Amino acid sequence: MPRVSDVNNVAPENSPPPISFPAAFDINAKVYEIFGHTKSPFSSSLIFPKVFNFIERNDDETILIALRPHWVTNAPWLLTGIILFICPPFFRYIPLIDILSLNYLFILSFFWYLISAAFCFEKFLSWYFDVYIITNRRVIDIDFYNLLTKKFSETELSKIQDVTSEVSGIGQSVFNYGNVLIQTASEIDEITFSKIPRPDKVVKILQGMVDGGGK
Amino acid sequence: MLGSLHTYLALAQKLSFTLGSLIYFVFAVIVVKQTTMMTKNVNDKFNPVLIVLAYLHFALTILLVFLTLTLL
Repeated sequence: MPRVSDVNNVAPENSPPPISFPAAFDINAKVYEIFGHTKSPFSSSLIFPKVFNFIERNDDETILIALRPHWVTNAPWLLTGIILFICPPFFRYIPLIDILSLNYLFILSFFWYLISAAFCFEKFLSWYFDVYIITNRRVIDIDFYNLLTKKFSETELSKIQDVTSEVSGIGQSVFNYGNVLIQTASEIDEITFSKIPRPDKVVKILQGMVDGGGK
Repeated sequence: MLGSLHTYLALAQKLSFTLGSLIYFVFAVIVVKQTTMMTKNVNDKFNPVLIVLAYLHFALTILLVFLTLTLL
């Protein structure tokens, strides 16, 4: 059942049983076949990750795929970060700033570099912890907003009604990333995996799991 | 007259820098809290490095406050 919880909420104990797939649908082989293998912790798609985990996972639940937004979505903040970092040497050319003493200029530059580093760090955290997870029981979307707010949305595989992918624009077409919209038969009627790599393949896996589990 | 105005401006300048660094200190504390919270909720290989970076940022912010109070 989909739900949105706060940081302190944990998964209910009476969680649904894992879906047993028919022999024809060997999920492990299928996922590897469709997605291939990934090992880098910075990868946007982790297949059967060994280290990756999340606090609401049940003991008998297996993570099949963990997804993050495509790496190219980091380009705008990386570019902004580079511009921010090369700014301080040019401070002296700004009117009024040149009247500051050397001590003030030093503190200002130090402050600027710290803010720039914090900006990049925050953006990286936003990307790194914006995760979408497919397990053998459910589909999960974990988001962090406003520094200290967490949003946890989930839906059981058996409640998934429809899965569609959406790739729009030149950037998404060139780098093959987009959204996956998961319609569910419960309170939260839709879960969206935003800007994930290879959305068509994610849809294929989800449809295979839903069809396989429903039979 | 001009001398005292200059003194006031210098004082205002120092106060604004000090206040700015103190506000930034609060932000650095929040960044540490945020990183800790995120790494507790989602575990991955790179988490220890992120925690170290958050604390490094916090340490540099303490240095900033110290330098603001001593150098200016």
